Amino acid sequence: MALLVERPLRLCSAHYLLRIRHTIRECMPGQFVNLRGWSGHDPLLRRPFSVFNRESDVLELVIRVVGKGTEILSRMEPGEIDLLGPMGRGFTIMENRSVLLAGGGVGNAPLHYLARMLKERGNRVSCIYGARSREYIYREKEFREICDSVIFTTDDGSFGTAGTVTDAAREILSHEAFDRIYSCGPTAMMRSMVELAGSAPIEISVENYFGCGIGLCMGCTIETTQGMKRACIDGPVFDGSSIKWESLC
Amino acid sequence: MDCTVTIGGCRLKNPVTVASGTAGYGEELSRFVDLSELGAIFTKGLSLAPRPGNRGNRVLETPSGLLNSIGLENVGLERFIAEKLPFLLAKGATVIPNVAGHSEDENEELCRVLSGTPGIDALELNVSCPNVREGGMVFGTDMGRFTSLLDRVRKHTACALIVKLSPNVTDIAGFALAAERAGADAVSAVNTFLGMKIDVKGQRPHFLNGVAGLSGPAIRPLAVRAVYQIYERVSIPVIGMGGISSLEDLLEFVMAGASAVSVGTMNMVDPGLSVRLVRELGEYLAGRGASGLSDLVGAAHTQRSGQ
Repeated sequence: MALLVERPLRLCSAHYLLRIRHTIRECMPGQFVNLRGWSGHDPLLRRPFSVFNRESDVLELVIRVVGKGTEILSRMEPGEIDLLGPMGRGFTIMENRSVLLAGGGVGNAPLHYLARMLKERGNRVSCIYGARSREYIYREKEFREICDSVIFTTDDGSFGTAGTVTDAAREILSHEAFDRIYSCGPTAMMRSMVELAGSAPIEISVENYFGCGIGLCMGCTIETTQGMKRACIDGPVFDGSSIKWESLC
Repeated sequence: MDCTVTIGGCRLKNPVTVASGTAGYGEELSRFVDLSELGAIFTKGLSLAPRPGNRGNRVLETPSGLLNSIGLENVGLERFIAEKLPFLLAKGATVIPNVAGHSEDENEELCRVLSGTPGIDALELNVSCPNVREGGMVFGTDMGRFTSLLDRVRKHTACALIVKLSPNVTDIAGFALAAERAGADAVSAVNTFLGMKIDVKGQRPHFLNGVAGLSGPAIRPLAVRAVYQIYERVSIPVIGMGGISSLEDLLEFVMAGASAVSVGTMNMVDPGLSVRLVRELGEYLAGRGASGLSDLVGAAHTQRSGQ
Protein backbone atom coordinates (compact mmCIF):
# COMPACT_ATOMS: atom_id res chain seq x y z
CA MET A 1 0.00 0.00 0.00
CA ALA A 2 1.20 3.50 -0.80
CA LEU A 3 0.66 6.46 1.50
CA LEU A 4 0.80 10.12 0.63
CA VAL A 5 2.92 11.35 3.53
CA GLU A 6 1.85 14.98 3.48
CA ARG A 7 -0.17 17.44 1.46
CA PRO A 8 1.36 18.10 -1.98
CA LEU A 9 3.86 20.93 -1.67
CA ARG A 10 3.70 23.70 -4.25
CA LEU A 11 7.19 24.00 -5.76
CA CYS A 12 6.57 26.71 -8.32
CA SER A 13 3.87 27.72 -10.77
CA ALA A 14 1.68 24.64 -11.51
CA HIS A 15 4.27 22.19 -10.11
CA TYR A 16 3.76 20.17 -6.92
CA LEU A 17 5.89 17.72 -4.96
CA LEU A 18 4.20 14.51 -3.84
CA ARG A 19 5.92 12.47 -1.13
CA ILE A 20 4.68 8.88 -1.05
CA ARG A 21 5.71 6.15 1.37
CA HIS A 22 5.87 2.91 -0.54
CA THR A 23 7.74 -0.34 0.03
CA ILE A 24 9.77 -1.05 -3.07
CA ARG A 25 12.82 -3.12 -3.77
CA GLU A 26 14.33 -1.14 -6.56
CA CYS A 27 13.67 2.10 -8.35
CA MET A 28 15.91 3.38 -11.10
CA PRO A 29 16.07 6.97 -12.34
CA GLY A 30 13.79 7.28 -15.36
CA GLN A 31 11.26 4.80 -14.06
CA PHE A 32 7.75 6.05 -13.34
CA VAL A 33 4.70 5.28 -11.25
CA ASN A 34 1.03 5.27 -12.30
CA LEU A 35 -1.18 7.17 -9.87
CA ARG A 36 -4.90 7.31 -9.29
CA GLY A 37 -6.23 9.73 -6.72
CA TRP A 38 -9.95 9.22 -7.27
CA SER A 39 -12.45 6.37 -7.18
CA GLY A 40 -14.93 7.33 -9.92
CA HIS A 41 -14.53 7.16 -13.69
CA ASP A 42 -13.87 10.77 -14.56
CA PRO A 43 -10.89 11.09 -14.62
CA LEU A 44 -10.55 7.51 -15.83
CA LEU A 45 -6.95 6.56 -16.54
CA ARG A 46 -4.03 6.57 -14.14
CA ARG A 47 -1.51 9.36 -14.57
CA PRO A 48 2.19 8.50 -15.03
CA PHE A 49 4.95 10.42 -13.19
CA SER A 50 8.66 9.80 -13.22
CA VAL A 51 10.52 9.60 -9.94
CA PHE A 52 12.08 12.90 -8.79
CA ASN A 53 13.79 11.47 -5.74
CA ARG A 54 13.88 8.56 -3.42
CA GLU A 55 14.78 8.58 0.27
CA SER A 56 14.65 4.98 1.59
CA ASP A 57 10.93 4.11 1.39
CA VAL A 58 9.69 7.55 0.35
CA LEU A 59 9.29 8.33 -3.35
CA GLU A 60 9.13 11.94 -4.40
CA LEU A 61 7.31 12.93 -7.58
CA VAL A 62 6.96 16.29 -9.26
CA ILE A 63 3.64 16.74 -10.99
CA ARG A 64 2.65 19.53 -13.31
CA VAL A 65 -1.02 20.46 -13.21
CA VAL A 66 -2.31 20.24 -16.78
CA GLY A 67 -5.87 18.97 -16.36
CA LYS A 68 -8.46 17.48 -14.06
CA GLY A 69 -6.47 14.41 -12.98
CA THR A 70 -3.30 16.27 -12.05
CA GLU A 71 -5.32 18.95 -10.31
CA ILE A 72 -7.02 16.37 -8.08
CA LEU A 73 -3.62 14.85 -7.29
CA SER A 74 -2.21 18.28 -6.41
CA ARG A 75 -4.96 18.80 -3.83
CA MET A 76 -4.96 15.35 -2.23
CA GLU A 77 -5.07 14.94 1.51
CA PRO A 78 -2.44 12.72 3.16
CA GLY A 79 -3.38 9.05 3.30
CA GLU A 80 -3.70 6.06 1.03
CA ILE A 81 -3.00 6.60 -2.65
CA ASP A 82 -3.45 4.11 -5.48
CA LEU A 83 -0.01 3.55 -7.03
CA LEU A 84 1.33 1.03 -9.57
CA GLY A 85 5.05 0.85 -10.09
CA PRO A 86 7.80 1.75 -10.40
CA MET A 87 7.42 0.76 -14.03
CA GLY A 88 9.40 0.88 -17.22
CA ARG A 89 13.05 0.96 -18.20
CA GLY A 90 15.21 3.63 -16.59
CA PHE A 91 18.48 5.36 -17.49
CA THR A 92 21.83 3.56 -17.74
CA ILE A 93 23.99 4.45 -14.77
CA MET A 94 27.64 5.08 -15.65
CA GLU A 95 30.57 5.05 -13.24
CA ASN A 96 33.42 7.55 -13.00
CA ARG A 97 32.60 9.25 -16.28
CA SER A 98 31.66 12.69 -17.45
CA VAL A 99 28.01 13.19 -18.33
CA LEU A 100 25.64 15.94 -19.47
CA LEU A 101 22.02 16.17 -18.39
CA ALA A 102 19.57 18.35 -20.33
CA GLY A 103 16.02 18.82 -19.08
CA GLY A 104 13.06 20.96 -20.05
CA GLY A 105 10.16 21.87 -17.76
CA VAL A 106 8.70 18.99 -15.77
CA GLY A 107 11.20 16.82 -17.69
CA ASN A 108 13.83 17.98 -15.21
CA ALA A 109 12.17 15.82 -12.54
CA PRO A 110 13.70 12.43 -13.47
CA LEU A 111 17.06 14.12 -14.07
CA HIS A 112 17.20 15.14 -10.40
CA TYR A 113 17.13 11.53 -9.22
CA LEU A 114 19.45 10.58 -12.08
CA ALA A 115 21.98 13.28 -11.12
CA ARG A 116 22.00 12.08 -7.53
CA MET A 117 22.67 8.49 -8.51
CA LEU A 118 25.30 9.43 -11.08
CA LYS A 119 27.14 11.49 -8.44
CA GLU A 120 27.04 8.57 -6.02
CA ARG A 121 28.82 6.52 -8.70
CA GLY A 122 31.63 9.00 -9.09
CA ASN A 123 30.56 10.71 -12.29
CA ARG A 124 31.20 14.33 -13.15
CA VAL A 125 27.70 15.70 -13.75
CA SER A 126 26.98 18.79 -15.83
CA CYS A 127 23.38 19.86 -16.13
CA ILE A 128 21.30 22.20 -18.24
CA TYR A 129 18.00 23.04 -16.60
CA GLY A 130 15.52 24.75 -18.92
CA ALA A 131 12.16 26.34 -18.15
CA ARG A 132 9.75 28.83 -19.64
CA SER A 133 10.48 31.46 -16.99
CA ARG A 134 11.61 31.99 -13.40
CA GLU A 135 8.27 30.91 -11.93
CA TYR A 136 8.63 27.44 -13.51
CA ILE A 137 11.95 26.58 -11.88
CA TYR A 138 11.82 24.25 -8.90
CA ARG A 139 14.41 22.94 -6.46
CA GLU A 140 17.09 25.11 -7.97
CA LYS A 141 19.31 24.86 -4.87
CA GLU A 142 19.23 21.07 -4.85
CA PHE A 143 20.26 20.87 -8.49
CA ARG A 144 23.17 23.23 -7.73
CA GLU A 145 24.22 21.12 -4.73
CA ILE A 146 24.10 17.79 -6.54
CA CYS A 147 25.66 18.67 -9.91
CA ASP A 148 29.20 19.78 -10.60
CA SER A 149 27.84 22.54 -12.80
CA VAL A 150 24.33 23.71 -13.66
CA ILE A 151 23.23 26.15 -16.30
CA PHE A 152 19.71 27.51 -15.98
CA THR A 153 18.00 28.73 -19.11
CA THR A 154 14.63 30.45 -19.45
CA ASP A 155 12.79 31.28 -22.65
CA ASP A 156 12.17 34.84 -21.49
CA GLY A 157 15.50 35.38 -19.72
CA SER A 158 13.82 35.95 -16.34
CA PHE A 159 16.27 33.54 -14.71
CA GLY A 160 19.68 32.27 -15.77
CA THR A 161 20.55 32.53 -19.44
CA ALA A 162 17.95 33.70 -21.92
CA GLY A 163 17.35 31.03 -24.55
CA THR A 164 16.67 27.35 -24.90
CA VAL A 165 18.26 24.23 -23.49
CA THR A 166 19.58 23.37 -26.93
CA ASP A 167 21.23 26.80 -27.28
CA ALA A 168 23.11 26.14 -24.05
CA ALA A 169 23.89 22.55 -25.06
CA ARG A 170 25.30 23.68 -28.41
CA GLU A 171 27.63 26.08 -26.59
CA ILE A 172 28.87 23.48 -24.08
CA LEU A 173 29.28 20.73 -26.67
CA SER A 174 31.38 23.05 -28.83
CA HIS A 175 34.21 22.86 -26.31
CA GLU A 176 33.53 19.86 -24.09
CA ALA A 177 32.99 16.16 -24.77
CA PHE A 178 30.87 13.85 -22.62
CA ASP A 179 30.80 10.08 -22.25
CA ARG A 180 27.00 10.14 -22.25
CA ILE A 181 24.17 12.63 -22.55
CA TYR A 182 20.78 12.25 -20.87
CA SER A 183 17.72 14.26 -21.82
CA CYS A 184 14.09 14.59 -20.82
CA GLY A 185 11.63 17.26 -21.90
CA PRO A 186 9.54 18.34 -24.87
CA THR A 187 9.88 16.14 -27.96
CA ALA A 188 11.34 18.89 -30.13
CA MET A 189 13.98 19.63 -27.51
CA MET A 190 15.03 15.99 -27.20
CA ARG A 191 15.15 15.64 -30.96
CA SER A 192 17.54 18.61 -31.16
CA MET A 193 19.63 17.16 -28.33
CA VAL A 194 20.02 13.90 -30.25
CA GLU A 195 21.19 15.86 -33.31
CA LEU A 196 23.64 17.87 -31.19
CA ALA A 197 24.99 14.73 -29.51
CA GLY A 198 26.42 13.54 -32.80
CA SER A 199 28.23 10.30 -32.11
CA ALA A 200 28.07 10.61 -28.31
CA PRO A 201 25.68 8.12 -26.64
CA ILE A 202 22.44 9.82 -25.64
CA GLU A 203 19.51 8.49 -23.67
CA ILE A 204 16.17 10.25 -23.71
CA SER A 205 13.00 9.72 -21.73
CA VAL A 206 9.92 10.15 -23.92
CA GLU A 207 6.85 11.95 -22.61
CA ASN A 208 4.14 10.81 -25.01
CA TYR A 209 0.53 10.18 -23.96
CA PHE A 210 0.11 6.87 -22.15
CA GLY A 211 -3.11 4.86 -22.09
CA CYS A 212 -2.71 2.20 -19.43
CA GLY A 213 0.96 2.77 -18.54
CA ILE A 214 1.37 -0.97 -17.90
CA GLY A 215 1.90 -2.39 -21.38
CA LEU A 216 -1.61 -3.56 -22.22
CA CYS A 217 -3.07 -1.14 -24.74
CA MET A 218 -0.29 -0.26 -27.21
CA GLY A 219 -1.46 3.34 -27.05
CA CYS A 220 2.02 4.77 -26.42
CA THR A 221 3.85 2.87 -29.15
CA ILE A 222 6.68 4.73 -30.87
CA GLU A 223 8.66 3.79 -33.94
CA THR A 224 12.33 2.98 -33.43
CA THR A 225 15.08 1.49 -35.55
CA GLN A 226 14.42 -1.72 -33.56
CA GLY A 227 10.74 -1.73 -34.48
CA MET A 228 7.60 -0.62 -32.66
CA LYS A 229 8.20 -0.06 -28.95
CA ARG A 230 5.77 0.67 -26.16
CA ALA A 231 7.03 3.73 -24.29
CA CYS A 232 5.61 2.50 -20.97
CA ILE A 233 7.21 -0.94 -20.93
CA ASP A 234 10.13 -0.83 -23.38
CA GLY A 235 10.90 2.77 -22.31
CA PRO A 236 10.28 5.47 -21.30
CA VAL A 237 14.07 5.70 -21.60
CA PHE A 238 15.40 4.91 -25.07
CA ASP A 239 18.66 5.23 -26.94
CA GLY A 240 18.08 8.64 -28.53
CA SER A 241 19.60 7.59 -31.84
CA SER A 242 17.03 4.79 -32.22
CA ILE A 243 13.97 7.05 -32.28
CA LYS A 244 12.16 7.69 -35.56
CA TRP A 245 11.20 11.22 -34.63
CA GLU A 246 8.69 11.79 -37.38
CA SER A 247 6.46 9.23 -35.66
CA LEU A 248 6.38 11.32 -32.49
CA CYS A 249 5.50 14.72 -33.92
CA MET B 1 -21.37 -24.30 -7.69
CA ASP B 2 -21.04 -24.62 -11.44
CA CYS B 3 -20.08 -21.40 -13.12
CA THR B 4 -18.68 -22.88 -16.29
CA VAL B 5 -19.80 -21.51 -19.62
CA THR B 6 -19.92 -23.67 -22.73
CA ILE B 7 -19.45 -22.10 -26.13
CA GLY B 8 -19.59 -24.75 -28.80
CA GLY B 9 -16.82 -27.14 -27.82
CA CYS B 10 -15.06 -24.58 -25.65
CA ARG B 11 -15.46 -24.59 -21.90
CA LEU B 12 -14.80 -21.46 -19.87
CA LYS B 13 -14.18 -22.21 -16.21
CA ASN B 14 -16.13 -19.10 -15.22
CA PRO B 15 -17.97 -16.26 -17.02
CA VAL B 16 -15.36 -13.53 -16.46
CA THR B 17 -12.98 -12.89 -19.34
CA VAL B 18 -10.74 -10.05 -20.48
CA ALA B 19 -11.49 -8.32 -23.76
CA SER B 20 -9.33 -8.28 -26.85
CA GLY B 21 -7.10 -5.25 -27.12
CA THR B 22 -7.04 -4.55 -23.39
CA ALA B 23 -4.95 -7.49 -22.29
CA GLY B 24 -2.23 -7.70 -24.96
CA TYR B 25 -1.01 -11.30 -25.08
CA GLY B 26 -1.25 -11.70 -21.33
CA GLU B 27 2.41 -11.17 -20.48
CA GLU B 28 1.92 -7.83 -18.78
CA LEU B 29 -1.47 -8.70 -17.26
CA SER B 30 0.06 -11.83 -15.73
CA ARG B 31 2.10 -9.56 -13.45
CA PHE B 32 -1.19 -8.53 -11.82
CA VAL B 33 -3.52 -11.53 -12.10
CA ASP B 34 -3.29 -15.31 -12.31
CA LEU B 35 -4.50 -15.84 -15.88
CA SER B 36 -5.62 -19.38 -15.07
CA GLU B 37 -8.30 -17.92 -12.78
CA LEU B 38 -10.03 -16.17 -15.68
CA GLY B 39 -12.78 -17.62 -17.84
CA ALA B 40 -10.65 -16.72 -20.86
CA ILE B 41 -8.28 -14.17 -22.28
CA PHE B 42 -9.19 -12.72 -25.68
CA THR B 43 -5.85 -11.77 -27.17
CA LYS B 44 -5.03 -8.74 -29.31
CA GLY B 45 -6.56 -8.73 -32.83
CA LEU B 46 -4.41 -10.85 -35.09
CA SER B 47 -3.48 -10.66 -38.77
CA LEU B 48 -1.40 -13.03 -40.93
CA ALA B 49 1.54 -10.65 -41.18
CA PRO B 50 2.63 -8.38 -38.31
CA ARG B 51 1.01 -4.93 -38.39
CA PRO B 52 2.57 -1.73 -37.07
CA GLY B 53 -0.78 -0.11 -36.27
CA ASN B 54 -1.70 3.52 -36.77
CA ARG B 55 0.58 6.51 -36.64
CA GLY B 56 -0.01 9.65 -34.64
CA ASN B 57 -2.15 9.85 -31.51
CA ARG B 58 -3.54 6.49 -30.49
CA VAL B 59 -5.43 6.98 -27.24
CA LEU B 60 -7.25 9.80 -25.54
CA GLU B 61 -9.25 9.93 -22.35
CA THR B 62 -12.79 11.33 -22.67
CA PRO B 63 -15.42 11.78 -19.93
CA SER B 64 -15.55 8.30 -18.29
CA GLY B 65 -14.28 6.79 -21.51
CA LEU B 66 -11.36 6.18 -23.80
CA LEU B 67 -11.00 6.83 -27.50
CA ASN B 68 -8.49 4.61 -29.26
CA SER B 69 -7.05 4.39 -32.71
CA ILE B 70 -4.44 1.68 -32.25
CA GLY B 71 -5.12 0.15 -35.66
CA LEU B 72 -4.59 -3.50 -34.73
CA GLU B 73 -0.86 -3.40 -34.06
CA ASN B 74 0.02 -7.06 -33.62
CA VAL B 75 2.83 -9.60 -33.93
CA GLY B 76 1.26 -11.62 -36.74
CA LEU B 77 0.14 -15.24 -36.82
CA GLU B 78 3.55 -16.90 -36.85
CA ARG B 79 4.95 -15.16 -33.78
CA PHE B 80 1.62 -15.52 -32.00
CA ILE B 81 1.74 -19.30 -32.36
CA ALA B 82 5.48 -19.59 -31.73
CA GLU B 83 5.82 -17.20 -28.76
CA LYS B 84 2.60 -15.83 -27.34
CA LEU B 85 0.35 -18.89 -27.28
CA PRO B 86 2.86 -21.18 -25.52
CA PHE B 87 3.35 -18.58 -22.77
CA LEU B 88 -0.41 -18.31 -22.20
CA LEU B 89 -0.99 -22.06 -22.23
CA ALA B 90 1.89 -22.58 -19.79
CA LYS B 91 0.15 -20.12 -17.46
CA GLY B 92 -2.97 -22.28 -17.60
CA ALA B 93 -5.00 -19.66 -19.47
CA THR B 94 -7.96 -20.38 -21.71
CA VAL B 95 -6.92 -18.54 -24.86
CA ILE B 96 -9.34 -17.16 -27.42
CA PRO B 97 -7.48 -15.43 -30.24
CA ASN B 98 -9.19 -12.47 -31.88
CA VAL B 99 -9.05 -12.78 -35.66
CA ALA B 100 -8.82 -9.48 -37.51
CA GLY B 101 -7.92 -10.08 -41.13
CA HIS B 102 -8.20 -7.41 -43.83
CA SER B 103 -10.02 -9.63 -46.31
CA GLU B 104 -12.19 -12.72 -46.49
CA ASP B 105 -9.15 -14.69 -47.65
CA GLU B 106 -7.03 -13.53 -44.72
CA ASN B 107 -9.75 -14.24 -42.17
CA GLU B 108 -10.36 -17.68 -43.63
CA GLU B 109 -6.67 -18.55 -43.46
CA LEU B 110 -6.31 -17.25 -39.89
CA CYS B 111 -9.32 -19.26 -38.74
CA ARG B 112 -8.14 -22.39 -40.54
CA VAL B 113 -4.67 -22.29 -38.99
CA LEU B 114 -5.67 -21.15 -35.50
CA SER B 115 -8.56 -23.57 -35.11
CA GLY B 116 -6.20 -26.41 -36.05
CA THR B 117 -3.65 -25.32 -33.46
CA PRO B 118 -3.55 -27.42 -30.27
CA GLY B 119 -4.68 -25.46 -27.21
CA ILE B 120 -7.18 -23.30 -29.06
CA ASP B 121 -10.83 -24.25 -28.60
CA ALA B 122 -12.48 -21.03 -29.71
CA LEU B 123 -11.83 -18.04 -31.94
CA GLU B 124 -13.33 -14.58 -31.91
CA LEU B 125 -13.89 -13.09 -35.35
CA ASN B 126 -13.42 -9.35 -35.22
CA VAL B 127 -15.72 -7.75 -37.76
CA SER B 128 -15.93 -4.54 -35.83
CA CYS B 129 -12.61 -2.72 -35.56
CA PRO B 130 -13.28 0.93 -36.45
CA ASN B 131 -9.60 1.82 -36.80
CA VAL B 132 -8.41 0.09 -39.96
CA ARG B 133 -9.10 1.23 -43.49
CA GLU B 134 -9.61 -2.20 -45.03
CA GLY B 135 -11.75 -4.92 -43.55
CA GLY B 136 -12.56 -4.28 -39.91
CA MET B 137 -15.88 -2.63 -39.30
CA VAL B 138 -16.99 -2.85 -42.94
CA PHE B 139 -17.50 -6.59 -42.37
CA GLY B 140 -19.64 -5.89 -39.34
CA THR B 141 -21.88 -3.14 -40.70
CA ASP B 142 -22.72 -4.37 -44.22
CA MET B 143 -25.08 -7.33 -43.93
CA GLY B 144 -24.11 -8.77 -47.31
CA ARG B 145 -20.39 -8.76 -46.56
CA PHE B 146 -21.06 -9.95 -43.00
CA THR B 147 -22.92 -13.09 -44.04
CA SER B 148 -20.56 -13.77 -46.94
CA LEU B 149 -17.54 -13.64 -44.60
CA LEU B 150 -19.22 -15.75 -41.93
CA ASP B 151 -20.27 -18.45 -44.40
CA ARG B 152 -16.68 -18.80 -45.59
CA VAL B 153 -15.05 -18.58 -42.19
CA ARG B 154 -17.44 -21.03 -40.56
CA LYS B 155 -16.50 -23.73 -43.08
CA HIS B 156 -12.82 -23.38 -42.19
CA THR B 157 -13.11 -23.01 -38.44
CA ALA B 158 -12.77 -26.36 -36.71
CA CYS B 159 -13.42 -24.98 -33.22
CA ALA B 160 -15.99 -22.72 -31.58
CA LEU B 161 -16.57 -19.48 -33.47
CA ILE B 162 -17.50 -16.28 -31.65
CA VAL B 163 -18.42 -13.20 -33.68
CA LYS B 164 -17.57 -9.82 -32.15
CA LEU B 165 -20.30 -7.45 -33.25
CA SER B 166 -20.06 -3.81 -34.17
CA PRO B 167 -22.46 -1.53 -32.29
CA ASN B 168 -22.29 0.93 -35.17
CA VAL B 169 -25.42 -0.41 -36.87
CA THR B 170 -29.12 0.37 -36.57
CA ASP B 171 -30.11 -3.16 -35.61
CA ILE B 172 -27.35 -5.07 -33.83
CA ALA B 173 -29.71 -7.94 -33.00
CA GLY B 174 -30.23 -8.48 -36.73
CA PHE B 175 -26.49 -9.04 -37.13
CA ALA B 176 -26.46 -11.37 -34.12
CA LEU B 177 -29.26 -13.40 -35.69
CA ALA B 178 -27.41 -13.58 -39.00
CA ALA B 179 -24.33 -14.80 -37.11
CA GLU B 180 -26.37 -17.50 -35.40
CA ARG B 181 -27.84 -18.61 -38.72
CA ALA B 182 -24.35 -18.77 -40.23
CA GLY B 183 -23.35 -21.18 -37.50
CA ALA B 184 -21.62 -18.94 -34.96
CA ASP B 185 -21.42 -20.48 -31.50
CA ALA B 186 -21.66 -17.14 -29.68
CA VAL B 187 -21.53 -13.40 -30.21
CA SER B 188 -19.50 -10.79 -28.33
CA ALA B 189 -21.19 -7.45 -27.82
CA VAL B 190 -19.97 -4.86 -28.15
CA ASN B 191 -16.85 -3.59 -29.84
CA THR B 192 -16.14 0.14 -29.57
CA PHE B 193 -18.52 2.87 -30.71
CA LEU B 194 -17.32 5.17 -33.46
CA GLY B 195 -16.26 8.43 -31.94
CA MET B 196 -14.18 11.45 -32.71
CA LYS B 197 -12.18 14.19 -31.06
CA ILE B 198 -11.54 17.53 -32.69
CA ASP B 199 -8.33 19.33 -31.80
CA VAL B 200 -9.79 22.82 -31.48
CA LYS B 201 -6.42 24.57 -31.52
CA GLY B 202 -5.36 22.79 -34.70
CA GLN B 203 -8.89 22.76 -36.16
CA ARG B 204 -8.51 19.12 -37.18
CA PRO B 205 -9.32 15.63 -35.93
CA HIS B 206 -7.11 14.56 -33.00
CA PHE B 207 -6.55 11.15 -34.61
CA LEU B 208 -4.87 10.82 -38.00
CA ASN B 209 -7.52 8.30 -38.99
CA GLY B 210 -10.21 10.87 -38.17
CA VAL B 211 -12.52 8.55 -36.27
CA ALA B 212 -11.66 6.38 -33.28
CA GLY B 213 -13.34 3.77 -31.09
CA LEU B 214 -14.96 4.74 -27.79
CA SER B 215 -14.90 2.32 -24.84
CA GLY B 216 -15.14 2.40 -21.07
CA PRO B 217 -17.89 3.22 -18.57
CA ALA B 218 -19.14 5.97 -20.91
CA ILE B 219 -20.61 3.34 -23.25
CA ARG B 220 -21.99 0.96 -20.63
CA PRO B 221 -25.70 1.84 -20.97
CA LEU B 222 -25.41 1.58 -24.75
CA ALA B 223 -23.73 -1.81 -24.49
CA VAL B 224 -26.24 -3.15 -21.95
CA ARG B 225 -29.03 -2.13 -24.32
CA ALA B 226 -27.31 -3.94 -27.21
CA VAL B 227 -26.97 -7.15 -25.18
CA TYR B 228 -30.61 -6.89 -24.10
CA GLN B 229 -31.79 -6.54 -27.71
CA ILE B 230 -29.57 -9.40 -28.93
CA TYR B 231 -30.78 -11.75 -26.20
CA GLU B 232 -34.36 -11.34 -27.41
CA ARG B 233 -33.46 -12.54 -30.89
CA VAL B 234 -30.88 -15.33 -30.54
CA SER B 235 -30.40 -18.48 -28.51
CA ILE B 236 -26.60 -18.74 -28.74
CA PRO B 237 -24.61 -17.33 -25.78
CA VAL B 238 -23.84 -13.62 -25.67
CA ILE B 239 -20.56 -12.36 -24.22
CA GLY B 240 -21.31 -8.91 -22.88
CA MET B 241 -18.88 -6.04 -22.48
CA GLY B 242 -18.71 -2.28 -22.31
CA GLY B 243 -17.20 -0.43 -19.37
CA ILE B 244 -17.58 -3.13 -16.72
CA SER B 245 -15.92 -1.86 -13.54
CA SER B 246 -17.77 -3.62 -10.72
CA LEU B 247 -19.88 -6.64 -9.81
CA GLU B 248 -23.02 -4.57 -10.25
CA ASP B 249 -21.99 -3.64 -13.79
CA LEU B 250 -21.27 -7.29 -14.54
CA LEU B 251 -24.68 -8.34 -13.23
CA GLU B 252 -26.39 -5.74 -15.41
CA PHE B 253 -24.93 -7.43 -18.48
CA VAL B 254 -25.86 -10.89 -17.21
CA MET B 255 -29.43 -9.87 -16.46
CA ALA B 256 -29.65 -8.21 -19.88
CA GLY B 257 -28.76 -11.58 -21.38
CA ALA B 258 -25.00 -12.19 -21.25
CA SER B 259 -23.82 -15.71 -20.39
CA ALA B 260 -20.27 -14.40 -19.98
CA VAL B 261 -18.68 -10.97 -19.76
CA SER B 262 -15.42 -9.26 -20.64
CA VAL B 263 -13.58 -6.65 -18.66
CA GLY B 264 -12.01 -4.28 -21.16
CA THR B 265 -10.93 -0.69 -20.64
CA MET B 266 -10.98 -1.04 -16.86
CA ASN B 267 -8.13 -3.60 -17.04
CA MET B 268 -6.02 -0.64 -18.03
CA VAL B 269 -6.95 1.30 -14.90
CA ASP B 270 -7.28 -1.55 -12.43
CA PRO B 271 -5.45 -4.62 -13.77
CA GLY B 272 -6.53 -6.83 -10.87
CA LEU B 273 -10.24 -6.17 -11.50
CA SER B 274 -11.08 -9.23 -13.62
CA VAL B 275 -9.92 -11.80 -11.09
CA ARG B 276 -11.48 -9.82 -8.26
CA LEU B 277 -14.80 -10.02 -10.14
CA VAL B 278 -14.46 -13.81 -10.45
CA ARG B 279 -14.29 -13.99 -6.66
CA GLU B 280 -17.02 -11.41 -6.05
CA LEU B 281 -19.37 -13.15 -8.45
CA GLY B 282 -18.75 -16.48 -6.72
CA GLU B 283 -19.51 -14.90 -3.33
CA TYR B 284 -22.62 -13.22 -4.69
CA LEU B 285 -23.99 -16.46 -6.13
CA ALA B 286 -23.10 -18.39 -2.97
CA GLY B 287 -24.87 -15.73 -0.89
CA ARG B 288 -28.01 -16.24 -2.94
CA GLY B 289 -27.76 -20.00 -2.65
CA ALA B 290 -27.59 -20.20 -6.45
CA SER B 291 -26.17 -23.28 -8.10
CA GLY B 292 -24.72 -21.24 -10.96
CA LEU B 293 -25.17 -18.18 -13.09
CA SER B 294 -27.75 -19.56 -15.51
CA ASP B 295 -30.82 -18.47 -13.50
CA LEU B 296 -29.69 -14.88 -13.76
CA VAL B 297 -28.88 -14.81 -17.48
CA GLY B 298 -31.56 -12.68 -19.10
CA ALA B 299 -33.39 -12.28 -15.80
CA ALA B 300 -34.37 -8.71 -16.65
CA HIS B 301 -36.45 -9.98 -19.59
CA THR B 302 -38.53 -12.30 -17.43
CA GLN B 303 -39.12 -9.61 -14.84
CA ARG B 304 -40.20 -7.16 -17.48
CA SER B 305 -42.72 -9.44 -19.15
CA GLY B 306 -44.03 -10.41 -15.71
CA GLN B 307 -45.00 -6.82 -14.90
